[in-house]
Amino acid sequence: MTAKAFLLKDKVALVAGDSQLWTKPVASALAGAGADIAIAAKSSPILAEAVEAVHKTGRKALALPLDVAKAAQVQKAVGQVIAEYGRLDILVNSGDIHFFKPFMKIKNAEWGKVMDTNFKSALNFCRAAARPMLKQKNGRIINIVSGLAERGLVNGSAYCVSMGGVLQLTRALALEWARKGITVNAIGTGWFTDPDKAMDETLARYIPVKRYGRPEEIGSLTVYLASEVTGFTTGQFMFVDGGLMAHA
Amino acid sequence: MNGGKGTLEGQVIIITGGGTGLGRSMAFRLAEEGADIVVAARRVPPLEETAAGVRQRGRKALAVSTDVTDTTQVNGLIEKTLAAMGHIDVLINNAGIVRGERPKALWEISDEDWRTGIDVNLSSAFYCSRAISKYFADRKRGKIILVASGEGFRGQRNSFMYNTAKAGVVNLTRVMALTLAEYNVRVNCIVPGFVDTYENQPEDYQKIMAERRAARKLFVPVGNPGKPDDIGYVALFLCSDASDYVTGGCFISDGGGLAGGFAITGYAPVVSLKEGRV
Repeated sequence: MTAKAFLLKDKVALVAGDSQLWTKPVASALAGAGADIAIAAKSSPILAEAVEAVHKTGRKALALPLDVAKAAQVQKAVGQVIAEYGRLDILVNSGDIHFFKPFMKIKNAEWGKVMDTNFKSALNFCRAAARPMLKQKNGRIINIVSGLAERGLVNGSAYCVSMGGVLQLTRALALEWARKGITVNAIGTGWFTDPDKAMDETLARYIPVKRYGRPEEIGSLTVYLASEVTGFTTGQFMFVDGGLMAHA
Repeated sequence: MNGGKGTLEGQVIIITGGGTGLGRSMAFRLAEEGADIVVAARRVPPLEETAAGVRQRGRKALAVSTDVTDTTQVNGLIEKTLAAMGHIDVLINNAGIVRGERPKALWEISDEDWRTGIDVNLSSAFYCSRAISKYFADRKRGKIILVASGEGFRGQRNSFMYNTAKAGVVNLTRVMALTLAEYNVRVNCIVPGFVDTYENQPEDYQKIMAERRAARKLFVPVGNPGKPDDIGYVALFLCSDASDYVTGGCFISDGGGLAGGFAITGYAPVVSLKEGRV
């Protein structure tokens, strides 16, 4: 049950970025808390599933298929959100492509793809969404990243760099917009179940609570950070990870 | 999603240092969300005021005079709470002296100064958490919340016990989170920045605050000190089932303070070294 104080009635949220895991649960949680939703991501079955999940809550959903790495397309999409809903209160950047390979073997195109999906997407959407938020003097930006924004991992150079970039963007923009009514925070994710993958039990034993997170467990912190009552919380990185970051 | 009942309906929450400041405002916030509240501190009159405020909000309240640096009294707090309320769902370790140290040269700090500062700000959280841990572990549920401070992440001139103890609170959070994870007990830390608890403070403290608040808020990136409820809502999130997969984490609400600080942020006024000396 969402606490009344965290409800997002009359708010408009944009869930942005290409992600196998986060798009649907995040859109669904924000809609469940009362927000109308726009979803901007590459055209895929996930986009349609997320729209359907939003409709189930009774809120409005707007699908915006696009290339997240193209700034002009992102600008246009934010324009469509404003045209449709008249405002934009919440931006959730959830771009997340997993990529692990020895550093010396990563091809330029692979590196570029990881940076486009995980970092440049967030950059483009922050730029585009801040315009109406700065005008409203009110906004919430939530960047979903991995704990690997802060920790290293063997064969994780591209992924760690891309996530670390979003984390530092979070902190710097939080300060830049601190007196303009926009808060910018990051959620750090641990290991989550992926419906498309077999889960490694060895890894689960390494998680302090001894189980993988369920993607929908990212929703409640997203809703909390999107709510009106978190105006004093900005530039922060908080984790939904079953305790991983406390010891890893 | 939005029931008529409070989110914390039926929960019993112990708040140490619940007579004043953030402790009282958390008590009121959580009571408004449906929780029954037990407040513990040394001085009884402020505790009774908090308890009365909780009852005004339609919830049960219990005030237990407790020196949280005394293990026997801490164990008594848990026993009295169970006897009166039947069960306990959350412990919030909030007791501490907010920058209670008088500026003193390092070489003049006595062993007793040191022990008192560490006892009140760090050991108290350990004693209270230890006292409740077996109960939570047997019950296979429970939440422990600690309250640190932005000072636990940074240094500050002449602030030995407070900054050291608060850094300890942060790592105590992590160690307890890892230790109690298998018992389905969650342990997290609230990290307030500069929050204006002026209203809930005793008179002598209000005087000190009045002098400092105007100057201090200039350093907060968002341009104003926090309101007590800014922390109350963090507590609500951590008490509720919304945070069930969250443990060992620090929830910082500080108006952007800790996100910067490597250089002059553009927000802090430039203070000469001489002026900055306490």
